[in-house]
Amino acid sequence: MVFNSYTFIVFFLLMLFLHNLPFPWKVKKINLLLASYIFYAAWNPPFILLLWLSTIVDYFVGKALFTQENKHKKKLLLVVSLIGNLGMLCFFKYGGFLLENFTHLVNALGMNYHPAKPNIILPAGISFYTFTTLCYTIDMYKRKSEPVKSLLDFSLFVTFFPHLVAGPIVRPPQLVPQFETARTANRQQLMQGLLLITLGLFMKVVLADSMLSASANEVFNAHKMVSTLDAWSGVLAFSGQIFFDFAGYSSCAVGVALCLGFVLPQNFLYPYAAIGFSDFWRRWHITLSAWLRDYLYIPLGGNRKGKFRTYINLMLTMLLGGLWHGANWTFVVWGALHGFYLWVEKMILDFRKVRTGMITADGTVMTGHLGIQTPKNKTLGNFMLALFTFFLINVTWVFFRSPDFTSAWQMLTSMFSHVPNGAVLLKTINIIKIGVIIFFVIIFHWLMRNTRVLIVAEKLPWWLLGMIWSVLLLLLILSQESSSSFIYFQF
Amino acid sequence: MNNSSLTKAGVFTLIVVTLCLAGWEMYLRSSGYKISYDDDESLWSDKRDLVYQPSDKATVMIGSSRIKYDVDIDTWKKLTGDQPVQLASVGSSPLPVLDNLANDKNFSGKLIIDVTEILFFSTDMPNLKTPTENVDWYKKRTPAQWFSTKVGHVLESKLVFLDKDYFSLNSLLHKIKVRDRPAVFVFPDFPLEFTRVTSERQCFMTDRFVADTNLQNQVKGVWGFLRKLSTGPPMHGAALDSLFATVKTDIDKIKARGGQVLFTRTPSSGPFLMGEKMGFPRAQYWDRLLSVTNCPGVYFEDYPAIAHLQCPEFSHLTVADAVIYTTTLVDILQKEKGWIFPHKPSGN
Repeated sequence: MVFNSYTFIVFFLLMLFLHNLPFPWKVKKINLLLASYIFYAAWNPPFILLLWLSTIVDYFVGKALFTQENKHKKKLLLVVSLIGNLGMLCFFKYGGFLLENFTHLVNALGMNYHPAKPNIILPAGISFYTFTTLCYTIDMYKRKSEPVKSLLDFSLFVTFFPHLVAGPIVRPPQLVPQFETARTANRQQLMQGLLLITLGLFMKVVLADSMLSASANEVFNAHKMVSTLDAWSGVLAFSGQIFFDFAGYSSCAVGVALCLGFVLPQNFLYPYAAIGFSDFWRRWHITLSAWLRDYLYIPLGGNRKGKFRTYINLMLTMLLGGLWHGANWTFVVWGALHGFYLWVEKMILDFRKVRTGMITADGTVMTGHLGIQTPKNKTLGNFMLALFTFFLINVTWVFFRSPDFTSAWQMLTSMFSHVPNGAVLLKTINIIKIGVIIFFVIIFHWLMRNTRVLIVAEKLPWWLLGMIWSVLLLLLILSQESSSSFIYFQF
Repeated sequence: MNNSSLTKAGVFTLIVVTLCLAGWEMYLRSSGYKISYDDDESLWSDKRDLVYQPSDKATVMIGSSRIKYDVDIDTWKKLTGDQPVQLASVGSSPLPVLDNLANDKNFSGKLIIDVTEILFFSTDMPNLKTPTENVDWYKKRTPAQWFSTKVGHVLESKLVFLDKDYFSLNSLLHKIKVRDRPAVFVFPDFPLEFTRVTSERQCFMTDRFVADTNLQNQVKGVWGFLRKLSTGPPMHGAALDSLFATVKTDIDKIKARGGQVLFTRTPSSGPFLMGEKMGFPRAQYWDRLLSVTNCPGVYFEDYPAIAHLQCPEFSHLTVADAVIYTTTLVDILQKEKGWIFPHKPSGN
């Protein structure tokens, strides 16, 4: 089920009620686990089997990995876990993509091979829970943390419904200890959770679905050259839509967990105020970029093996990050563009540090995300840099949203050249909506870039917070958007 | 902010939101608006579930908007004792739904297919979009979506402001008149009074619409706009032959399972009717449809009781005339077409 549905409201109220009854902690955990399975099965019941398989395999393999002393057996166990998790992901998510590319390849080599198109349904959130379980087995292999003591706690760690289908991607030490002692939300946590849920639903339902999605869809589904104004409006609309959709989901997830007494990591930190791309990835889908840093970039060597390898590792990480988002070459190019931006940014920073003598002895700069540090001060110059970063990010969204390269090229041409006969698509009211929302997003992100929403909310007088909260809730109810899916569910 | 301040803010929010919504609801009710349901894919799917009621009770209706206005569900229920299932979609061809029912081995009930020629004899994508999306949504509907529909249904039955087409934030914003660029495609608005929807998916016009010629002219203007959009000739030749063959194949499947299929041509009037007769001569389209499919049909002009019903905006009946049309149709079905309604109350 999705957070923005009547079903979830009923489910959540029931869960709150049950979780606050005077049952033993174990009963409450079983309750949460069963509820999480119901939450997942409400999409497509048979896929619950995959979740069970992944949970059971990784629980036992994880335990064995931690205790196994024989290096070969240990590696074999890790391979079993990787094949199990990544194999499942590859089959469901990349099966069709791999077959399509293989077909293109053999046909290019002169063979006449045309297999039937596989009809594979992607289980909701498979990329997310696969990464959740993967980090557990890798941690067990490296003995970075203790194995989870009970299958119940491990199952709940993998399946806990607030993060199950679209993150935040949690690590065992972030969540498992919270299952070990009894907890319910106190009144402050409950109110904070409800505030975050309202904010999240407002972002998803009002801003993403009601205000922006139709315009983004209209422009990106045109499959033809459009006027420059329409092209930029469409891209900005998508830029806002994808942020509000995903950040909205993450806020809801954190809020729902908080209402039950659990703390999940933040996933977004005003990314459109990022100054540079390293800063962007510290603010956008934080738990994924941290995962990629810890389980891909650093194992590849990070920036410890010289400059050349650092650049290669950066690009590889971003390419795979792109592919994680979807089985399409357009996502790979999206990742490549981000990798390229990070290259350029690192080159500029390295050059500056050499000039100012701040570079380390081995020629690397090991600060910040992926080894790159960015400024924090809110100066006019930095604001202009943030705007420039936002501009470049919009270019990357073209590849992320376009179904194919032809459409992406048409969109880029429409954005950056005069198109005399470009289609004129959007109504004036839609362009105004996009303009107003994007303007306030940039301002709001800039003002909030070094703080958190709950910190600001707690500083406001109660009546002012109440007024703001009321407006969010009223607009949410009045928008009357049906329970549309979240974009990131498909990843 | 301390604990109690956050709670105060929450309670304050609850009071403000409740007062605002209650005020908005009271304002709409005092302005004469009544309950109307969102005629979306979830409501369609909810009705689609009902075609499996015992086949001697199920009468399914597919078509375009006319049958949604012209068949009065309450009258039908009263006369036949059966629950009709309205699966027609506004501005659409019924063919995707016919195909869906034909390939559903569990469906073997009665089927009425309404023919609005310009939509029926067409395979243009815009005419197929809504029914195709409805069918797809029905097939992929998750248990969570099913439950949400049920809850939403209860809320919509109580609150007037839950009307996405006219009172949602987006539709309210779009009422602000801002001049569009000349080349932008802008579809003219239907007045709210023209389309209200019941939980059974019956459409009806309000009393105000029936009395107000300005509102009627606004809808006539929309028909004029649509007429200008359709520039090509009516479907003919091989494309028409292919469409007839597809319809026949689907109908044969339903008949083979013991189902009954009948076509209707619901009333239209004025220049709309004239244009339809010119574009789609009865002999080449309606008569041929009945002969190819070997199905009975009820063409409104053949029956004096309904031949002269007038549509206020040329294309759909008022609620009062829908009662007359439905009563006559049920009568024709029983006396002339041999349809039996075993559950009908005695005396009808």
